[in-house]
Amino acid sequence: MTPAAALVEVLFPTARPVTVEALLDELSSGAMLSGGTLRAGDGRMRDFLAAFGRRLLTPESARRHPELASLGFFLRPGELARTVDGLRGEHLRVPRGLILHIPPANVDTVFVYSWALSALMGNRNVVRLSPRAGAVASTIVRTLQETLAGADPVVAATQRIVTYDRSDVVTAALSAACDLRVIWGGDRTVAEIRRHPLAPHARDLTFPDRSSFAVIRAAAWLEAPPGTREAVADGFASDSYWFDQAACSSPRTVFWVGSAADCDAARADFTTCLARAVKRRGWTVDTAMAVEKRVATYGLAADGAADTVGFHGNTLASVVLAGPEAAPRRWLGAGTFAHTRLGALMELSGLVRRRDQTMAHFGFARAELEELAESLAGRGVDRMVPVGGALSFHRVWDGVDLPAEFTRLVTVTG
Amino acid sequence: MTVFTLTEAEREAFLLPRLAALTVRHRDACPPYARILAAIGSEPPYARVADLPWLPVRLFKTHELRSVPRERVFRVLTSSGTTGQAPSRIHLDREAAAAQPRMLAATLRTVLGEQRLPMLIVDSRAAVRGPALSARGAGVLGMMNLGRHYTFVLDEGGEVDSAAVRAFLARHGGGRFLIFGFTFMVWLHLRELGLDLSRGILIHSGGWKRLADQAVDAAVFRGALRRECGLTRVHDFYGMVEQIGTVFLEGPDGGGLYCPDFANVLIRDPETWEEAPPGVPGVVEVVSTLPTSYPGHVLLTEDLGVVHGIDDGVWPGKRFSVLGRLPRAEVRGCSDTAVPA
Repeated sequence: MTPAAALVEVLFPTARPVTVEALLDELSSGAMLSGGTLRAGDGRMRDFLAAFGRRLLTPESARRHPELASLGFFLRPGELARTVDGLRGEHLRVPRGLILHIPPANVDTVFVYSWALSALMGNRNVVRLSPRAGAVASTIVRTLQETLAGADPVVAATQRIVTYDRSDVVTAALSAACDLRVIWGGDRTVAEIRRHPLAPHARDLTFPDRSSFAVIRAAAWLEAPPGTREAVADGFASDSYWFDQAACSSPRTVFWVGSAADCDAARADFTTCLARAVKRRGWTVDTAMAVEKRVATYGLAADGAADTVGFHGNTLASVVLAGPEAAPRRWLGAGTFAHTRLGALMELSGLVRRRDQTMAHFGFARAELEELAESLAGRGVDRMVPVGGALSFHRVWDGVDLPAEFTRLVTVTG
Repeated sequence: MTVFTLTEAEREAFLLPRLAALTVRHRDACPPYARILAAIGSEPPYARVADLPWLPVRLFKTHELRSVPRERVFRVLTSSGTTGQAPSRIHLDREAAAAQPRMLAATLRTVLGEQRLPMLIVDSRAAVRGPALSARGAGVLGMMNLGRHYTFVLDEGGEVDSAAVRAFLARHGGGRFLIFGFTFMVWLHLRELGLDLSRGILIHSGGWKRLADQAVDAAVFRGALRRECGLTRVHDFYGMVEQIGTVFLEGPDGGGLYCPDFANVLIRDPETWEEAPPGVPGVVEVVSTLPTSYPGHVLLTEDLGVVHGIDDGVWPGKRFSVLGRLPRAEVRGCSDTAVPA
């Protein structure tokens, strides 16, 4: 008799309950020998991913779930080819084996990026979706099932999306069996999952709690034509509001670089433009979120971290910090931005911390950004992207080259 | 003697100078509060009670806010936070600690009379014992000041002790007596007794969430108690540890909650944060002159409510209901995950 705790609900390729032992059995390398194995960059998987991406880009899908359109864009054939070609070198790339993915519960699309790159690299994958996963996740699973019709059987044989409630038994069994465990979603999750040992050769790829900020040259903002300012404010709004500003790459603090007078003027104009952009997009926050923002911003003021707190309706709260060292890393509620001033971009060098991930920028030359990155020397900030690109997923994420992580290198000397 | 005497206009005139003076007093004595007022640009003069700056009540969970020096703190009250949340910490000096039971008693005397009545407690004696007193236990203890000859309806094991209740009624059932309990405990345990409680005055509190799940509202509650126990004097009250001593009391006819003379409620529109007119639901703000040792005199709660009418009920002032709690803000984002193991 199988204890209920060892049951998992398979969502892909076909919905059915199965014991974790049976699941691992189906995916074992022995079973694969009869069904065929995948290579790194396998054409059959590439075709499947591209077909899946095309379905996400249909006008109907893109209208209902715009975030799936960015996913579809990420999976277009040219991009997949570039990813595969980018890994060519003197060594032979082979899949790492069985990969266990534990994505965050609330960013519905992250699991697809993680899984798709791993599948493209020829791995067998088990993706654990949270039972709390939302409507977008269901749409993704359904679309994957629809795509399966025209796909090579090797796809269904090697890929699993499952869900199960908290179960140590299942997590332990999957952890012991996998060659790489990918944990998204915060310090607490990482610590929880790490209680379950991996095989000696296996390892973890972790994406713990991160936070992000933006940096804008005040003079560049003030000199920019209205159309540019509107576009940048629009990009900043989508960087911030897509996931209620709680995505690790969404900016929380805006560092303004320049004279005090320029920074004050630029901040005021930026806030006006941002309020308009948010209104154009129709983003709103509910009452609970509005109260949450009051608690957080009043709290910053009580602590002496905020000099002023202002509200432009419930959707946009602006905090002027007492100084740049007071920049908050924690989430303050959707649409809450802390502002502070720096004399020069390089001052960030002393302020950045390990958990700082993405720096969205406007008004700086590439050379200045590279100089800052060099001086940070890995102490924080893994991505410097123009404002508007904070949420764009890239195969290099959090300082990690994912396709490289999903493969092993075989040395072949002739 | 009653503390339900002021019409809305009289109340506004009475409260405005007192609450404005408290705002200044707390600003001068509580630096974090002063920094909040400075940051949001709130300054006197205040023309209306509705113009006074409010604090979100949850700030008492995240921050230590007091207007008396540490050595003058006489008692620190804590709320039972929901799981994973820090409790509120309310700092009372000797004066505030003495005022709150006095004003609570004055409020409830309106329906209980001047005498301390024999008291039936719809709970277990275990709730008021032990080193870690629950919020429920603290509530029971506070109410016990208003009664005497206590009998607990539940035994130590949480079972209804009908023998004890019968004995209580045999001794005290001929005159008026007080029944106190949390709303869901009353609903759960009082009706099954099948005893005549018609001389009793029921005071209950704690909110309707658990009963709302069973589609039990105030009218159903009152109707069932009248039919099954003969209870006709039933008074719900609304209050919170952050404004300890201030309770909003249901009138004898069940037509809504009323404010004692030293307090008021405002319903705020959740979009504009302006005061909503009667009939329009919004977020409940509570104001009271009692918080003198901490800046809790003007608080935005996380409850939704509605004013039914002004100066149109059995007592003067606003007549209102609490409709339930705001849902907690859902956090999306990478860092908030369901841990699978």
